[in-house]
Amino acid sequence: MHLNHTDYLFWAAGLLAHIVLLVVISTRHRAETFPFFTTLISANIVKTITLYLVALHGTRYSYRVTYSCLTAVDLALQLCVVYEVALHVFRPTGRWAPEVRRGFVIVVVASITVAAGLTTLAETPAKTWLAAVLIRGNFFSSALMSELFAGMIVLSVTVGLPWKPHAARIAQGLGFYSLVTILTEAGHNIFGMERTSRISGDLTLLRIVTYLTCVMYWIVMLWREAPAPRELPAEIRSQLVAFQRLLEYDLRKLRALK
Amino acid sequence: MMISGRSIYFVVVLVVVLAALGTAVAYYYLRYRRRQTFPYGNWESLLSRLSTVDRDKIALISQNVLNESESRRMDEDNSDPNATQIWSLVGGLKGLEAMERNCAVLVDLAFYVQQWYPEASVVAQQLRLNAREVQWHVGRLKSAAQTGKLEIFFSDYAQPAITTYYLMTRRVLALYEKYNLPGLGDLQRAI
Repeated sequence: MHLNHTDYLFWAAGLLAHIVLLVVISTRHRAETFPFFTTLISANIVKTITLYLVALHGTRYSYRVTYSCLTAVDLALQLCVVYEVALHVFRPTGRWAPEVRRGFVIVVVASITVAAGLTTLAETPAKTWLAAVLIRGNFFSSALMSELFAGMIVLSVTVGLPWKPHAARIAQGLGFYSLVTILTEAGHNIFGMERTSRISGDLTLLRIVTYLTCVMYWIVMLWREAPAPRELPAEIRSQLVAFQRLLEYDLRKLRALK
Repeated sequence: MMISGRSIYFVVVLVVVLAALGTAVAYYYLRYRRRQTFPYGNWESLLSRLSTVDRDKIALISQNVLNESESRRMDEDNSDPNATQIWSLVGGLKGLEAMERNCAVLVDLAFYVQQWYPEASVVAQQLRLNAREVQWHVGRLKSAAQTGKLEIFFSDYAQPAITTYYLMTRRVLALYEKYNLPGLGDLQRAI
């Protein structure tokens, strides 16, 4: 498979950016808080190296097969990251509020339905079934991710739950990337994904540049510490705890009346 | 390059979906920013959502259950209020429905505090559970009303609902008092 200087440059930049991000995640102890996100970044490093080796030594078909498999893994991990962010936003006390969980399920179901609808609507000019699966799969994943993040924003504002700083930064990066990839993958659906096509090449370049920008954004944002939450004075905290215990006692009495 | 009719249709639908997504995100993001930038801007609208309920009568019914104050019993002979008395004090099913609507506002009032004090989320979550408890009781009463058995079940479900609502109001007031938030006076008059 023939690779030009630009391909090598972006491969190297992607690998370097991911390694730096992983170092930031490790040294700033974000891996414990965001295990799925850490796995996604680690998987992307493996993906970049694997694809480079397959591109150098394999055929175009083997490259596409490997790319499709790794993209499927990537989508699964991205969905796990969405769930991870949702846990940080919608479980502020470590427990799902029942109505929020229902709302989140509705968001997930609606997102899958709309993304699947849009994907089937597109007419893919791909010559092989593998290329068609790849184009449709990429479009489906970007549409799904964008809708999920949009739905989560709407849901969190509706129920009044604030976003924790690092979870919000991860979601912003992934959400922005998904939004741009909807446009690039829609372009691939219309114009095809042939390497010889100028439009297809430009769309791929736009997607890669956007992703690298997001990785750099994560490097900066995850390096920074989240603003320290304001602490309650010890006296007020103990009063609040005492008040809460009193109310718990009263509520137990009330529930016993049923 | 020729673009097929189906591709044009796809682009139109995609643009509509993206516009809808963008509008929803922009609207809710602006709502969030407004809340951040002008945290007290919506205070009046929050209070205006409260339906009128007689808080003294609610306190009277609740304190009989909670035994908070023997001196504030309803009757001179220290007997608990019966179903008929509770019915008239609370304003019947309409009064309970007003209370149920107010529960949602009480939860919002706790979330209002949570914007600046994340610790308040514990209270907000507890209020959510209490609100559901009130909804459950009022829901039972509505079902009983539909089957013509309201009188039989009124005392079973009304008193717990009223007392839970009363505790929710106390909890919200305590929350505002502890954080020494402006608007406490308005809140005391409103709930």
